[in-house]
Amino acid sequence: MSIETSGPAWRIGVDIGGTFTDVVLWRDGASTLRREKLLTTPEDPSLAVIEGVQRALDNEGVAPADLASVIHGTTLVANALIERRGVKTGLITTSGFRDVLEIGREWRYDLFDLNIEMPTPLVPRALRQEAGGRLTADGSELTPLDEDEVAAAAEALSVAEVQSVAVSLLHSYRNPAHERRVGEIVARVMPDAKISLSSDVSPELGEYERTSTTVANAYVLPIFATYVDRLVRALAGMGYRRDLLLVLSDGRCIRADVAMRYPIRLVQSGPAAGAEAARLFGELAGESEMLCFDMGGTTAKACLIHDGEPERTAHFEVARETRFAEGSGLPLQIPAIDMIEIGAGGGSIASIDARGLVQVGPKSAGADPGPACYGRGNDRPTVTDCDLILGYLDAGSFLAGKMALDVAAAEAAIRVHLAEPLGISLVEAAWGVHETVTANMAQAASIHAIERGLDATRFAMMPIGGAGPVHACDMATKMNIDRLICPIGAGVASAIGMLAAPVSFEVARAAPVRLAELDVAAAKTMLSEMSVETVGLISGAGVAEADISFRASAMMRYVGQGYEIEVPVEKDGLSEGSLADAFAVAYGARYGRTEAMASEILSWRVVGTGPRLPLADAIGGTATKTSGTPPPNSQRPVYFESGFVDTPVHARRDLLPGHTIAGPAIIEEDESTLVVPPDFDVSVDEALNLIALRKRAT
Amino acid sequence: MNPIRIGLIWRRIDGIVDLVAETFLRAAFSVVVRDNYDMAFSLFDSRGQQITQSKRSIPSFIGTLPRTLAVVLDKIPRDQLNPGDTIITNDSWIGTGHLNDISMVHPIFMGDRIVAFAASTAHTVDIGGAPSPMALDRFEEGLCIPICKIVERGVENSVVIDFLRENLRQPDETLGDIRAQFAAYNDCTEKLMGLLADEGLEDLDAIADEIVMRSEASMRSAIAALPDGVYEDGFDTDGFEEPLHIQCAVTIKGDELIVDFAGTSPEVPWAVNVVLNYTQAYARYAVKCVLDPEAPNNAGSLRPIDVRAPEGCLLNARPPAPVWGRHLSGHYVPPAVLGALAPLIPDRIVAESGSPLWNVYFSGKRPGRDDSFVKMFFMNGGHGARSIGDGPGCLSFPSNVSNEPIEVFENQVPMLVTEKALVPDTGGAGKFRGGSAQRIGFRSLADSAISMAIKHERIRFPPRGLLGGMAGSPGRDLVNGEQIQPKSRTMLAPGDEIVFQTPGGGGLHPPGERSQDMIQADLESGLVTREKAIEAYGDVD
Repeated sequence: MSIETSGPAWRIGVDIGGTFTDVVLWRDGASTLRREKLLTTPEDPSLAVIEGVQRALDNEGVAPADLASVIHGTTLVANALIERRGVKTGLITTSGFRDVLEIGREWRYDLFDLNIEMPTPLVPRALRQEAGGRLTADGSELTPLDEDEVAAAAEALSVAEVQSVAVSLLHSYRNPAHERRVGEIVARVMPDAKISLSSDVSPELGEYERTSTTVANAYVLPIFATYVDRLVRALAGMGYRRDLLLVLSDGRCIRADVAMRYPIRLVQSGPAAGAEAARLFGELAGESEMLCFDMGGTTAKACLIHDGEPERTAHFEVARETRFAEGSGLPLQIPAIDMIEIGAGGGSIASIDARGLVQVGPKSAGADPGPACYGRGNDRPTVTDCDLILGYLDAGSFLAGKMALDVAAAEAAIRVHLAEPLGISLVEAAWGVHETVTANMAQAASIHAIERGLDATRFAMMPIGGAGPVHACDMATKMNIDRLICPIGAGVASAIGMLAAPVSFEVARAAPVRLAELDVAAAKTMLSEMSVETVGLISGAGVAEADISFRASAMMRYVGQGYEIEVPVEKDGLSEGSLADAFAVAYGARYGRTEAMASEILSWRVVGTGPRLPLADAIGGTATKTSGTPPPNSQRPVYFESGFVDTPVHARRDLLPGHTIAGPAIIEEDESTLVVPPDFDVSVDEALNLIALRKRAT
Repeated sequence: MNPIRIGLIWRRIDGIVDLVAETFLRAAFSVVVRDNYDMAFSLFDSRGQQITQSKRSIPSFIGTLPRTLAVVLDKIPRDQLNPGDTIITNDSWIGTGHLNDISMVHPIFMGDRIVAFAASTAHTVDIGGAPSPMALDRFEEGLCIPICKIVERGVENSVVIDFLRENLRQPDETLGDIRAQFAAYNDCTEKLMGLLADEGLEDLDAIADEIVMRSEASMRSAIAALPDGVYEDGFDTDGFEEPLHIQCAVTIKGDELIVDFAGTSPEVPWAVNVVLNYTQAYARYAVKCVLDPEAPNNAGSLRPIDVRAPEGCLLNARPPAPVWGRHLSGHYVPPAVLGALAPLIPDRIVAESGSPLWNVYFSGKRPGRDDSFVKMFFMNGGHGARSIGDGPGCLSFPSNVSNEPIEVFENQVPMLVTEKALVPDTGGAGKFRGGSAQRIGFRSLADSAISMAIKHERIRFPPRGLLGGMAGSPGRDLVNGEQIQPKSRTMLAPGDEIVFQTPGGGGLHPPGERSQDMIQADLESGLVTREKAIEAYGDVD
């Protein structure tokens, strides 16, 4: 086992969504998790975090000092970028290149639409400054840095009341010296400003993408730093004594003090943890090909899990001008789980569009005021309001009865804004909203799979998020998916995923060399140094050094190519021959052929990873196997395609491995509800997953 | 077939083609393919009907590939094709109009039956010979590869490979790109077989017919919505000593549209002549963009559009006319078609962009190395103002060539890029302003002479504004501060300074209709100076 054996053994995962903040508490080796779901506090998100943590601890009688780790994910970074709520940001570039950020790559992301919108730079032209000094392509200095110009640039940004400064100089990924000096001068002239250097944030070839990534980092850094700082202090104030850990966009987690310098790497923090949870649940259910469907209060996302791992990407885009159009957003060079937004969430507002058709989103009622049925002053109908009217949700048992829903308010909202203007009944309007939002998500998720050359119908769907299980069976039918796996705790899956995310850090070093000229001994030494470096960044996070595993790789290509492939490296057996063989294997697997040409190494990577917590025990369940259908707790009318059906309602906690339930049925958990239409059958597997099968498929 | 299923299968085919194009791009050996995206990948059904193309494609290539495939199949009929064959050609009159674009066709078999064709085109910076704007005929322009099998039953034809190797200055790069396409064909075959198996299909023909029929109906209804009549546009281009003339008449007749370039200058003894296949590709592309941009592009989109140009004119040149710089006339085809249609569709039109595409070729030796390099660098001008707002600064049109990162360029060539910046006061004024031009500077860091070849348009005639909008700014070419000939070859000494300024985009609608907010935003960004703002818009707050 990985965890410090002498230390305390309680852990917490906290996920902040647009609507709800989820907290899960787990004691190492325990067979259950404590879960809390409470409304997000948008004005200061740390308030809900602290309250949720306190509540979970109080319920288990655990002292904050007994916590081994608090792991956190947040949509703060993504939202700040999408809503353009970052701080006033400046940029300093090499003389002559301040417009690179605006010019971009000069290509049209849609071949036929001449009216495409190009992303507006996060830093306007007037706040883009330049300074003399120049490196050449190999990183050597051609012209010394003009420090007076740097100071003048910083003065100008200071006068313009810029709070955060991005620095991106040509070839800085080869030699960061000039950028570091610029950073020192800016810090002197603008002592209060935050500084992001491109050689630090994204040390990769390609000035536009590197600048874009660095600017986005600078744009959100002050907001993020303030937030994390406040959270760290609040946790310390409670008596928590360890480092706060944060989840990155690729599902790994790092210490808050490291994360604070690179908030852009957290752009997809919460959702990535959801994918990590899906991976774990899939492992328990013995399923390696899944479509993870995560629907929360504000958005719905989809991610493919292929061969048991979430699909990953190194080319991420945020804040797309045209929904779903690749190339229309701000490019970010960060490792991330490949995930797309497929539509609206439970809080998304339904309205009538210009063509007289029902439209759902993109506006969301969020947590405050929230759906009309929350009774907090919103009178517009949302998806959740419609789900309530259709009988999918129950006014008394929402969030285990902790939050009563106002049916009359939901009805009024739907009548006034949808049913009456369209001249249809209340239920028809509610069903129309439900169908619209589900069909949109089904289509977008199918396209996501298809664009990756995969056939979604062969995947099992795993619904997570508070609203995921409500819409999942209907969506699966529309996507021609026959099998669903609904894990326990689906409604707080991202928070569970945070516990499942291993503490991990990647160190990369550029060292371009032809394979034939590789100094093997020097390479081995470098790989050892890199391993030591990762240990420094991981330890202190409740991980013992002995429990860290390392994975080394070389980024290689044929001489003349522009893209590398990752080639696994065994440090001890490293030789020119072993590397040549490993490259041929990796290249052949990707391209189906190899070339009779010289190869080269561009860079080396070492990933140090702490152990994954043995969460399987916690959520795998220990209940004995049984059979038959348990008696329902109650009955209520629930709307399916043909009308209201008196439907049995089961409590999830009553279901044991081997139980079967024929649709229609409602299965309620504290944080989410699985809606089982008449054409589905559900069984409970040994890990307590609900397996829903479409009847025609059985 | 159920329309939902058709839609899903079509989208999956589309997705496969994009992924396969990505395989090609990532395995490519040239910057012109992997960074400039000067390529296209397209899929055809068993009868040679175009189904779809990769998103990152050059518009002209997706328009010329259907004819390339047809000519290939005339020369090598289906019964002479075997699994594992790949056919190559770069014949200007069969392909894209110049030798630098190499096209290949790969039949995809299921058992012994052809179920589809994958086809791709990619630019190669060098194709041998001594191409120049002043070439007298096509023979000077490099190696012509006649239609032949470069791969036969999975085995490379060493004669073809040797011919290429002996005639090209950078054979590893060009052959590397060719082999990267072989990897893409394998990938395409594998993914397509997966799709056919999943869907229980024998081939793509039934799906293709459904999609093509829908695209054709969509294009026909878009044409039918316009009033019948003949609409014309004509303008001069820079040309050489004398300007050249492009004349275009668009006839709308029910649900059919005819583009006719009668009245265009005759072909000339300089390398700006265009083959008909290229002219047709860009004329149809322009129509598709403004009349029916949303429907999937395939064989059906093209059917209702007939494109004609008199044989022997600039836009329908005959062999052995020199055609190396064919885009210098060919990129005027979309503006001519749009200019003719402008009064009919003021809500969808786009003013002229800073194209024909600008590029520069550098060749020479790197310090300390014996082998020579040939390197190309692309620069887009300002995009024309659009009906929804200002033209973006520096966006590729009608081509879709990306720029190359400066950090990549400087890694390959002993040149320093001294500047890449938007230029104030270059976008044409209007209710919607044309996109800004860019200025790019270079300095030679070589220790020997570097040869620089340029072929630039829009020095004499800047991009026009439309419907009352003003023209953008003309382009400029400077060496050590002196204006040089825009179509020329110059020997650069070490330390020489070169500056190019691409043309600015044209404006749309009269400047008097521009909002004060937009004028103020221009002043704040500095993309328009106060002096020019007052000149163009009068009152400025």
